[in-house]
Amino acid sequence: MAESGPLIGIDLGTTNSLVATVQDGQPLIIKNRTGAPLTPSVVAVSKNGKRLVGGIAKRQAITNPQETVSAAKRLIGRKFSSHPVQDAMRALTYQVVCGAHDDVRIRLAGRDLAVPEVSAMILAELKADAEAHFGRPVTQAVITVPAYFNDGQRQATKDAGRIAGLEVLRIINEPTAAALAYGFGRTVNGKIAVLDLGGGTFDVSVLEINNGIFDVVATGGDTFLGGEDWDHRIIEWMVFGFAKEHGIDLRKDRMALQRLKDAAEKAKVELSSVKETQVHLPFICTPPGGGAALHLQATLTREKLEDLTADLGERLVGITSEVLGEAKVRPSELKEVILVGGMSRMPRIVEQVRQYFRREPCKGVHAEEVVALGAAIQAHALVAQESELLLLDVTPQSMGVAIAGGYVRRLIPRNTTVPTSATEVFATSKDFQRTVKIMVLQGEHELAHHNELLGEFLLTGLREAPRGQVEIEVTFDINAEGIVSVSARDRDTGLRQSITVTASSGLTEDELRRIMEEQRDWLVTARASEELKTRRVELDILARDLVDALSRVRLLPGAGGLSPDVVARAEQALDHARQVRGGEDVGALTRACEALSQSLPQLRAASPRGTPGR
Amino acid sequence: MNTLRARQLVEAGLLLRLSGDIPGAEKLFVRALELDPANARARQLLTPGGGSTAPVNIAAPDMEGDWGAWADASSPGPAEPLPESVNLPEGTGTPGDALDLIAEAHRTQEFGLPESYAGMGPLPQGSEVECLLKGAEDLLTLDDHSGAVDLLRRAQSLAPEDPRVEALRDRSERILVAMLEARLGDLDRMPRVRLQPDDIIWLNLDHRAGFVLAQIDGAVSFDDLFALSGMSRLDTARILAQLLDEGIIAPGGSPVSTRGG
Repeated sequence: MAESGPLIGIDLGTTNSLVATVQDGQPLIIKNRTGAPLTPSVVAVSKNGKRLVGGIAKRQAITNPQETVSAAKRLIGRKFSSHPVQDAMRALTYQVVCGAHDDVRIRLAGRDLAVPEVSAMILAELKADAEAHFGRPVTQAVITVPAYFNDGQRQATKDAGRIAGLEVLRIINEPTAAALAYGFGRTVNGKIAVLDLGGGTFDVSVLEINNGIFDVVATGGDTFLGGEDWDHRIIEWMVFGFAKEHGIDLRKDRMALQRLKDAAEKAKVELSSVKETQVHLPFICTPPGGGAALHLQATLTREKLEDLTADLGERLVGITSEVLGEAKVRPSELKEVILVGGMSRMPRIVEQVRQYFRREPCKGVHAEEVVALGAAIQAHALVAQESELLLLDVTPQSMGVAIAGGYVRRLIPRNTTVPTSATEVFATSKDFQRTVKIMVLQGEHELAHHNELLGEFLLTGLREAPRGQVEIEVTFDINAEGIVSVSARDRDTGLRQSITVTASSGLTEDELRRIMEEQRDWLVTARASEELKTRRVELDILARDLVDALSRVRLLPGAGGLSPDVVARAEQALDHARQVRGGEDVGALTRACEALSQSLPQLRAASPRGTPGR
Repeated sequence: MNTLRARQLVEAGLLLRLSGDIPGAEKLFVRALELDPANARARQLLTPGGGSTAPVNIAAPDMEGDWGAWADASSPGPAEPLPESVNLPEGTGTPGDALDLIAEAHRTQEFGLPESYAGMGPLPQGSEVECLLKGAEDLLTLDDHSGAVDLLRRAQSLAPEDPRVEALRDRSERILVAMLEARLGDLDRMPRVRLQPDDIIWLNLDHRAGFVLAQIDGAVSFDDLFALSGMSRLDTARILAQLLDEGIIAPGGSPVSTRGG
């Protein structure tokens, strides 16, 4: 790989995203332009039509719910008709519609956007933050995804990267990135558990590390359990306390609710390091009958928070136990336990994990930064060709074909390094069967209908014979680009049929190109609009100053000694400014500003004594 | 005619006073006295504590786009008859006269009227809407755009389909927004709160101002605040200008680079 510009690793999260890099051999988080390490994965179009990304979008999420998109990751690369999308839709405040290929489209400011387009806005923001950090363009990145993401979801994430102007060097699993950040590729051989408690999801993964090879042995969790559930408990506590005191339900007021949400998150974070915190929300609401606005003031202790959220902590343990049980892994078998996600800073959660695993979970790297750091390490290793840290491109899930009885026969197990190939011989299942349908499936479930159908085709003209006597050879080929070819051949006749499956994000190549062009156009327009706005502000300020100066001159005897030409020119400049202000021509606005700037000092030179001053 | 107009102004002034805009109301009473020095009601209302008909709500004036549960409940209803309620005969008033004055006074800020405005006929006279419109026009001549907008909003709530009210309101709001934004200065600057939390609770703010104030952390610009307030640009600008004028916030500096798209 040729030496290129700066490389970044991106943790594109459901609730928050981070970007990291390796500088002077050390992985580090790149802070965003507000100085925060985390950028909320929220995109919005404000009521005044402005596109907002990150913290600013999050801060208006409750007051502008229909035009604010959060948790797009739950939808990326999925079919609209799929259960996860239908489930997710129940909790969404924005509108989701079905695309042309049963893909998900998000309605934002009257436009239907593909999910990768929305994710691309977040990636573009992180890219811009990285560019601000390096002071030069950034074009290459490694992006992380949950271990359970299928090829379609991974492809959609790659597409989002392309739309954002990034070449996605590799997509890697989040738990693998976390393990990399701890240097486990070098130091650990054996099984480790990664518990990732983010803002909206809880993922449990068991990895087997063997001489630098990371194998995801088991993955599970709850895609609707995360830090926000802890926030909601604090909000409820504040709401009920206020209702008790004042008889007012703050949840009915969106402004109040937005402030409660911000305060709850802040209190929760603070209580990870201190034992009690003050919640102070002045002027939270105006009483129904009018009068002075009321304040919310409360003290929340860590003990109280733990009491409010005890059941949530128990759910974490239950889910972890379930995933380990399914993978037939005993806690004592694990070499290490990694806690990922800001929520895992909570002392109670650390304690529960410690009790369950009977070991101290890994510390030392900030829990919410660990995945992005791992991604950055991988990006760096890809370029530096540090082979012991290089993750191989593997199949994220097993692939196989449907067989009689509605089951799956796996030909390519998950975590198989690509390129790869596998062949297996099948036989007819019915007497005198002339046709066989090859259904190509991806997934880990034994039952065919629980797996993702990648494609299907018919092999016809089989020899008529009792069942089991006609043999069909099925071959899977996956090339280095991840393109899967599946062929079936009648071994008697040599008849052959095949299909090529490319992971799809739901967007066709043409759509993707169109979106990328639109994105480029939008960037150009956004920059021009920014410039236009700046010029108009400048013009307004100058125009007002000039009007003031003209008024003063008109009151002075003999126009303060100014020649009539000066006043006429100033009036002319003002008239011109009025004409061009509403237009879109930045050049004309700039010239109008120059004309006003020239007139202003001349008018200000007017003297009360009738001769121009100095 | 001056007598009638003065009475209209008194009525509009009372409405303003009820909505909390005391200075705006006083301007209308003064104007009424100028037109009709014999108007005892205007004189009475100008005396300290004079003519007080209802407790004055010290919160910010009626604002658009507020979906707060309490704001809805507390917004003034249109049904209360006012003490000086008048019915004007047909054909009184001179619609449009104040508009010309404003156009002259604000020609650097006002960049064109809606085309539909010019050809509109006069309003039916004698209605409360007419009173409000007159009051608004007079306030505009006195450069009280804030008070004018309040009256026009009220007029629009009574006559939502009336194109003249809409045009005048639209125009007044644009001028007012421009004036308020001028007071804020460079909208890319990131304001910061000047007071300590313990001092803030003693301020006289309503929940909307409280919400905007809570968003000000030195890291968001005025422009961002317009986006995240959830209110109209005018309402947000009004609150920000109020916070700035009262020394609650300072304008702050400009960001190194702009954020988002």
